[in-house]
Amino acid sequence: MPPKNLKRKVTATDGTATPHVPSLAEQLSYLYLPRPFKNPEYAKNLNRRAKNLKNVMGQERERERADREKRRLEKMEKDAQDAMDVDGNEVVEDEVPSYLSIEAPPSVLPQKHYCDITGLEAPYTDPVTGLRYHDKDVYALIKEMATRGVNSIVK
Amino acid sequence: MDDVQPENLITFLPFSTTPNIPPPPEDYTPHRLQHTPLIIDNGSTNLRWGFATSSEPRYGSNIVTKYRERKTNYPLMLFGDAVEVESGAKTQAKTPWEGDVLLNFDALENALDYTLVQLGIDTPTVEHPVLMTERLCSPVHSRALTSELMFELYSVPSLAYCVDGIMSFYQNDQSTGNSFTSDGLVVSFNTASTSVIPILNGKGIISHAKRIPWGASQATDYLLKLVQMKYPNFPTRVSVAQANWMFREFCSVSPDYLSLLRSFEDPSVLRSHQKIIQFPFLPTPNSSNGGATGNGDEKTEEELARVTERRREQGRKLQEIAARNRMEKLQQKESDLTYLLSLRDNYSPSVSKREWDRKLKEEGFDDEEIFEETLKKLEVDVKKARKKEREKEGGSAVGDGDDVDEPMEEPSFPLVDIPDADLDPSSLLEKRKQKLLKAGYEARFRARKERELKAIKDREEKAEREKQKEIEEKLDSEAREVDLKGWAKKLRGEQETLMVRIKDRAKRRAAMNDRKSAAKQERMKNIANLAAGDEKGVSRGTGKGRKGNAEDMFGADDADWAIYRKISLVFVSYQNTTTTVSSDEEEDLAQLQQVEQRLLAYDPTFTTQHTHASIVSQRSALLNAFRPAYEEGDAAGHNRIHLTTERCRVCEAWFTPAIAGVDSAGLGEVIQNILSRFNEEEKARLIKNVFLTGSPSQIPGIAPRLYSTLRPLLPPEMPIKIRQAGDPALDAWKGMARFATMDEQFGKVGMSKAEYEEMGGERLKRWWGSNWNGGF
Repeated sequence: MPPKNLKRKVTATDGTATPHVPSLAEQLSYLYLPRPFKNPEYAKNLNRRAKNLKNVMGQERERERADREKRRLEKMEKDAQDAMDVDGNEVVEDEVPSYLSIEAPPSVLPQKHYCDITGLEAPYTDPVTGLRYHDKDVYALIKEMATRGVNSIVK
Repeated sequence: MDDVQPENLITFLPFSTTPNIPPPPEDYTPHRLQHTPLIIDNGSTNLRWGFATSSEPRYGSNIVTKYRERKTNYPLMLFGDAVEVESGAKTQAKTPWEGDVLLNFDALENALDYTLVQLGIDTPTVEHPVLMTERLCSPVHSRALTSELMFELYSVPSLAYCVDGIMSFYQNDQSTGNSFTSDGLVVSFNTASTSVIPILNGKGIISHAKRIPWGASQATDYLLKLVQMKYPNFPTRVSVAQANWMFREFCSVSPDYLSLLRSFEDPSVLRSHQKIIQFPFLPTPNSSNGGATGNGDEKTEEELARVTERRREQGRKLQEIAARNRMEKLQQKESDLTYLLSLRDNYSPSVSKREWDRKLKEEGFDDEEIFEETLKKLEVDVKKARKKEREKEGGSAVGDGDDVDEPMEEPSFPLVDIPDADLDPSSLLEKRKQKLLKAGYEARFRARKERELKAIKDREEKAEREKQKEIEEKLDSEAREVDLKGWAKKLRGEQETLMVRIKDRAKRRAAMNDRKSAAKQERMKNIANLAAGDEKGVSRGTGKGRKGNAEDMFGADDADWAIYRKISLVFVSYQNTTTTVSSDEEEDLAQLQQVEQRLLAYDPTFTTQHTHASIVSQRSALLNAFRPAYEEGDAAGHNRIHLTTERCRVCEAWFTPAIAGVDSAGLGEVIQNILSRFNEEEKARLIKNVFLTGSPSQIPGIAPRLYSTLRPLLPPEMPIKIRQAGDPALDAWKGMARFATMDEQFGKVGMSKAEYEEMGGERLKRWWGSNWNGGF
């Protein structure tokens, strides 16, 4: 069965009649609904621009480094103090994890090569473009793509 | 070629449905002054919220847009699915999350506004303690701003943070009793990451948790990239939302990826695994109803027939008009002729010369001679036109004028023979004119005779050749009838030699493009020899320059020009495609075609598949199953996407992110790493209770695959049990609600406003369900 023509829900804006018939979007809008729970005295720092991801990550890294430095200093101090103690059972506090430290390490398992075009196993690599391919027909396809100037996707 | 896809495999893209209108705001009265905890599960894709006493949260997509409609100039603010209503609003939509990090606080503020409005809160401050989720080890910047919003803008009495995965685990905890002391390994699948959190004695060991930067959104993007690479010329643009739909519908994890891939070597297996998605398309312009391809073809033929009819009619009409014009002109000429004749007849006998002249001058003729000439010309024209009319009406058109033997009257050149001396000057002029005419006439006569002779000779030659061909064919057919196999084998041998020659030439052409190949080096050698040959000639001469008697004798011998064949790059195109064909190739191809035609006609085992053309353009069966090629006019076919290997490849990235280019360990390896940091006894406790949660965990096939990945990593006597959350999407919220209502610890885990003002927004109170960074 052929697909029906996609019909977008047309928001009926009746401009002629004087009582303004609200469209669906206007009904759903909550811009003008009262929000009494908001603190009117809260002066939002309007000059603050939303930091982008790079900045936030940079900040995290800085902070983590600072924290680690501080903790190391503390530990050294404590060691110096506890040098007299017989049992030096230090409570090794678990390292405080941060967003970056929690990230999974790169894989150490040997990687299988998969064909960049078909997804099957790829024993071969094209020296010109660096794409991996499954068999000679896929290679012909790669060469055809290269001649047509299609940019291959950098993996 | 089996291009017809079985109808039952084709799925159509879902139509854009009307978004579900959210329920009206709740009535606030049951909760007024009750201080019921407010639970907000702040997810990257969906925001879930509600009072802790409700059984189900409300939820919506975590998108907000502030939009001013162009026509009415009415500003709008829409949240969640309502954004879909306005197509212009979608482009301006903002989401508070960027992957895993909460960045856009305007959007968060608007989203929270919406949630509170929906709950019907109308008090000047929010008087409920709040429990909110964070990502695992969320950056303190995000937390600081959220706390600021909560405490300063909404003035909540207390705020507690938790990790959604742990709360979902709590919800599904099967132990009875009041305290929560279970052990387990929570694998939480989120939008932009997947986290693994070990839980011992009911406490989340965040320091040993790990996060893989691969989630549902990355998988969707990867699928989109694969589809775009497979279909670079796809007519419509595939959007992220559509890719998301495809991901949810069709992708699954295969229990053994490698063996599945190996089974795909067989194209039929590949085809059985494919899913076809039909995108909306416009029918081709020729067919009026855009039905199946069969109808379209017939209609095009009719169309063609109609078009040719119309053209023929037009031609006929033009012909008629031309004929009519000719008739008119002819009639006009005839009338003129009769008039002039009558003029002559009337006047010449009776009237004197002077009167005759005057009359002629009236008519416009200066002289009698001119008059006679015009008369004669008119007569000739009329006669010719009459003849043509007769021929046309006769039916068949006559051949070219050369063969029609017009009885050309032998014009008489009387004055030519009379010697010059006897003539007076005017007759001399006449004589010269006549001599020219005679020469011309004789030349034409000779040419005609030659042409006739040549035609006869050609006809004879053609008959000869035909006779020869007949003899050959008779021999051939005799040979064929006697020994079909032998004849076929001989012809096939010819075909193969020709194909080999063509292929060799193509290979040579390809080698020419390669800088270091032997062909190129040979060419260079030839060129160098040519140049060196000149120099040798020069040095043999007397002096240094070419001005000596060393002459360059290249080209004197015809064989010298053959060198151009070897060094010419004219037929090597830069794109390595054989668009220009040299004359040698043309000969080869023509011969090949002849041989193939004969084979096709007489040899039953030689089919079109064996011809050179089909062999060259054949794509492997595997590639065809992978990406079927549709005919030119098949609009439906061109708008289809076939998903075969992509279905499992995308989901395989959870276990091997390297497949998608993400340099990270996969689920199996991460779990192995985490487990290695515990001792054996704890390992056993953890692995007995592996818990999958989060909306993407609903991808089919994850649990069995995880089991087969983990089994080899652990000693065989350790039991591994993997279970899924009862309601992967909502369980986190439900766990939070249960904790808030039933557990008395809830009061102690929140950070009060005073503590916030003292320590700032980056800190949080550390408890078994929360993050540790910044905890106190």
